[in-house]
Amino acid sequence: MAQLETTWRLQCTVNGGPVDCEVPQDQTLLDFLRIGIGLTGSKGSCLEGECGSCTVIVDGQAVNSCLVLCPQMQGRRITTIEGLACGEKLHVLQETFLDAGAAQCGYCTPGLIMAAKALLDETPNPTEQEFFEGMEGNICRCTGYASICEAIRAAARQWQ
Amino acid sequence: MFFQPKTIDEALAVRAKMGADATPLGGGTDIVVALNRVGSGAKNYLDLTHVVGYPDVQRENGEWVLSAGATFTRLGKLPVRALAEASMTVGGAAIRNCGTIAGNLGTASPAGDGCVALMAMDARIALRHATRGERIIPIAEYFTGFRKTALLADELITQVRFDADWRTAWYKVGKRGSINISLVCCAVGLSPRGDVRIAFGCVAPIVMRARKAEAIVEKHGLSPVAIDEAAEVAMTEVAPIDDHRASAAYRRAMCGVLTRRLLNQLQKETGGRASAPAA
Amino acid sequence: MRNSECGIRNAQHRAARAATAPVRTEPLSEPSHTPYKESPRGPVGRSERRVDGREKVLGTCLYGADLFYQRADYFAQVVRSEMPHARLLGVESEAALRVPGVVAVYTAHDMPGTNRQGLIHRDHPVLAEGLVRYRGDAVAIVVGQSQAAARNGCNAVQVAYEALPVVATMDDALDESAPKLHRDGNVMGGKRIRKGDADRALEEADVVVSETFQTQTVDHAFLDLEAGIAQWDGGVLTIQVSGQWAHEERRLTALALGLPIEQVQIVTPATGGAFGGREDLSLQVYLGMAALKHPGKTIAMQYSREESMRARHKRHAIRIHYTLGAKNDGTITAAKITVYSDEGAYASTGPAVLRKAASHATGPLRVPNVYVDVYGVFTNNNPTGAMRGFGACQMAIAYNSMMDRLAERLGMDPVELWRRNLICDGDEVTTGQRIGIVTATACMDAALAKYRDDRRVDPPLAAHQRRGWGLSVICFGLGYGDGFPDASRATVRFKSDGRMEVATGGVEYGQGLLNMTAQIAAEKCGVPLSRVDVVWADTRRTQESGSSSATRQTYFTGNAVRIAADELREEVLDVAGKLLCVHPHELDIRDARIVGRFDPALSATLDDVLAEGRRRGHRLEGFGIFKPRTVCEDFATGQSPRSFITYLFGAHLAQVVVDVETGEVRIERYVACHDVGKAINPQSVAGQMVGGATQGIGMALMEEVVNEDGVMKNPNFTDYILPTFRDVPEIECVILENDDPGGPFGARGIGEPPLIAAVPAVLSAIGSAVGAQPHTTPCNPQRVWELLHPEQAARPAHPATTPAHAGMNR
Repeated sequence: MAQLETTWRLQCTVNGGPVDCEVPQDQTLLDFLRIGIGLTGSKGSCLEGECGSCTVIVDGQAVNSCLVLCPQMQGRRITTIEGLACGEKLHVLQETFLDAGAAQCGYCTPGLIMAAKALLDETPNPTEQEFFEGMEGNICRCTGYASICEAIRAAARQWQ
Repeated sequence: MFFQPKTIDEALAVRAKMGADATPLGGGTDIVVALNRVGSGAKNYLDLTHVVGYPDVQRENGEWVLSAGATFTRLGKLPVRALAEASMTVGGAAIRNCGTIAGNLGTASPAGDGCVALMAMDARIALRHATRGERIIPIAEYFTGFRKTALLADELITQVRFDADWRTAWYKVGKRGSINISLVCCAVGLSPRGDVRIAFGCVAPIVMRARKAEAIVEKHGLSPVAIDEAAEVAMTEVAPIDDHRASAAYRRAMCGVLTRRLLNQLQKETGGRASAPAA
Repeated sequence: MRNSECGIRNAQHRAARAATAPVRTEPLSEPSHTPYKESPRGPVGRSERRVDGREKVLGTCLYGADLFYQRADYFAQVVRSEMPHARLLGVESEAALRVPGVVAVYTAHDMPGTNRQGLIHRDHPVLAEGLVRYRGDAVAIVVGQSQAAARNGCNAVQVAYEALPVVATMDDALDESAPKLHRDGNVMGGKRIRKGDADRALEEADVVVSETFQTQTVDHAFLDLEAGIAQWDGGVLTIQVSGQWAHEERRLTALALGLPIEQVQIVTPATGGAFGGREDLSLQVYLGMAALKHPGKTIAMQYSREESMRARHKRHAIRIHYTLGAKNDGTITAAKITVYSDEGAYASTGPAVLRKAASHATGPLRVPNVYVDVYGVFTNNNPTGAMRGFGACQMAIAYNSMMDRLAERLGMDPVELWRRNLICDGDEVTTGQRIGIVTATACMDAALAKYRDDRRVDPPLAAHQRRGWGLSVICFGLGYGDGFPDASRATVRFKSDGRMEVATGGVEYGQGLLNMTAQIAAEKCGVPLSRVDVVWADTRRTQESGSSSATRQTYFTGNAVRIAADELREEVLDVAGKLLCVHPHELDIRDARIVGRFDPALSATLDDVLAEGRRRGHRLEGFGIFKPRTVCEDFATGQSPRSFITYLFGAHLAQVVVDVETGEVRIERYVACHDVGKAINPQSVAGQMVGGATQGIGMALMEEVVNEDGVMKNPNFTDYILPTFRDVPEIECVILENDDPGGPFGARGIGEPPLIAAVPAVLSAIGSAVGAQPHTTPCNPQRVWELLHPEQAARPAHPATTPAHAGMNR
């Protein structure tokens, strides 16, 4: 249960690989990913759950990694943007994002792709309402969302 | 120190021992926001997310029983309209996957959408202590002041319960289509026993009910005249403030608008009978 | 006009507007033809994938905050003023220096150079000297061995202030008793327009409409928070921070730090949005100073969202007193416009914003008599400066709304009123510049046609809902204008591995700059886009190409790249000619092959030619500089034959549903039409149109920085509301391509006009839906409700700014 004073021995899985290390007990998952294990793909922006730039997938669910403390991830399976591509082969969402021009400045892109993946994994053929429910937590300041919708719908058509 | 109990008894034991020195942690969607702002956290955390049964939701004996960790995503799927709709207006999917009903009740913000929906159904909050056992607080007595509740520092919220036969409606006025901090929100509940509940958020230091307005409808039913009068009276019962989000005048006017709109909606659906059973 | 006439005409007007599918009475105007038309074969005109897209979808591209976790030695953080206006009595750093991990604390005394920043006036101390003028002024820098140490150190720094009266609003600033925020007082004069005789024309007009508009303070809210690193190696200070003008950042940083320019290098990391918000310096000098003090150490710095919002400049909140005079048949004869702009604590790019506002005061309207006065008023709020739209945005809100009001007054269909008053080929704009090719009416007609051709059935409305539609027409002069030096330079070369490299100084922040330059270069030199690399915004490796702002990069840098690529192409064909023993004129480059233009037997690979070229000692590099001149105005009249190098036209159309009980607005349909000259990459152009329109929707409905007594109440995303997926309808884009004879392949640009056109279109639609025209942005639910219940919210009076013409209404 309780461990050393202010650190925690975190044991979990990130992108299929095991993690076992001491973390400060109040470190957020986002900081751990970026600083602790150098996965800088997930981004911090609003740091209060209003923008979704930090979205990762935990046990199949989209989660704002800036609002989760590392110890809470004990035993969990975490997927980040870095875990999507297979070597040189991009994930279908990454391909459709490129086709649709859905990454302009690109800062929201990792969080958006992860939110879209969580949505399509659960609901491969979302209605408009389900689409909004799955994606409304992700803000994009550049694209106005149209190209993103196009990309996600194109990916949905190819989803397995 | 970071406590991660696996059972409710373990959690209660820590809570009884540490009291306010260990911050209970559910989804983190309120607590970690504060941590990010300040830059450092509490000395001790009591993480409830690994407690067996924490997120469960069950229906038993005509009651819905929500465990403390029932997430807004889960609540958004319940066939309880006000609670489901309120839950789906909380943040985006990622927030809803983590945010819990107990967190909403624990933070006790006057804007807490889940709290407003529960208020319209006479929900009962189960507070438990390691040795003193469980006590049930009706939600109308749970909020004691601005961000203050009846929960004692050595207790945990374990369950929220409410009758499954309430017919409810909900509306939230916001500045945009998603992720709204409410300007004003309102939940209305009708029970088969003839009870009427009109609950508001963001128009007082606590989530509140417009009791005089309720009494009018309880007495006279859902007639257009009674609904109009209830709307007017509701506006006199609320105590909104001017702040950078909205003016008191606007919020007050919205209380009237929402009372009228939601009561009319329920009237149409029940054919005017306040005591019609839930769908 | 007599009241009864007004009443009847208003009813007719409302009836005319109420029809949801008005019949089109005029054919679409033909696009104008120009003698110069270069037809592309290669990537120009195609929606190629972003050349930097792969790393963005992989999450591997490195923004400022991604640079430092494995590398930083020290972290810096700024202590900011807690007071909106105060004398700085002293900074005590002893307690901070005792905090574990804190290495140093610096104040203005430690700044080696001028300690001044400011793009136009150097009026803003980097670290406060004796006075703080807004609650974001930097007071000290703490350097620590970790971010936590730096933060704890900041919390321990003790600052002694003597509070001064807060100048919270423009009206406060204009009061006689107001403290002077700057040496020359609180008012900064701007450009004025004196064209014809507006006073007399207003007197003689049949109809006069007057209104006061108030726009809000807007934040850029780009997602990529300010962050970066710097290092001083004893000879060169290298700073890696995102900006919008690497070479100017270099100059300003060198000035502030007292270094020769050649000792400062700015390298721009991947940049997540800017929208004008990176045009002023952010971290560069703080990082540079800390680096100078700790040679050999890599210093890192990062803003939180709150610091980012509190520190950074904002869009000007502008009050516009607008009076229009017209004949009974709708011909506008006069405009008298008085503009007061909240300048905030420092000038920033305010002087240029005021100029652009004045230059666009009547937008695309033909008005023979125009008087405009523009003033900037200093307050203790955030300095206000560049943001997408740059003064022309706020004016477009006003002149578009005035058209709706005038139409209502005259009982005319607004579209007919526009048609009567939009400039045509050869007409003058506000500054007297004659625009040769004007496609304002074409844009309007194309937007209307797109809207009317949509046969979708709108869903029925509930009792508390009203539907309305609104139109906006805008124009925009691109580039700095007004005679300011404006140039872009580019080099295009073949590297030893045969790949082509384009190097320009412009910043890519998502708008598609890299593709624009790469596609033009690839087109000109006949190589596939996959063979092109782009180097950008790195003072070590790129020439200056001006800022990525003012909608200028396509026109200026696109032309510079075109010129450079033409040079390179000539050099390659010269070598090829020698290789194949023919005149270079007989050859062309296509798909990395040399081909004969007339003799199909002629052929060689590009690689062979490049090898031959190197053998012969060729550099295989082209350089281009594009520096067209604009003309400064006559200061007395604001008139100039060429204020801007070229103009852009656009028209938007919005259909909204308003809940008239709550004031909530939902946009149902939306059409955006822009004439871009030539879409180098149509997908990027559409992306800018939809993105810009969405920012405009945000400004129209929900975004607002709320300041009270110099304190920002909402420096976070909970209360600074940005549009989400649910807030944006399908935006139909109509791209018109009427060649600009001076643009690369006829291209003009796209960046700012979509935002400029969006705000007034939404406001016009709201006005149509609720039967009352908005005058204050944003039109959040409360403001719409107040439009419907004017007795609930009295409009504030502003005697300090209200001119005599504001009362004229007949």
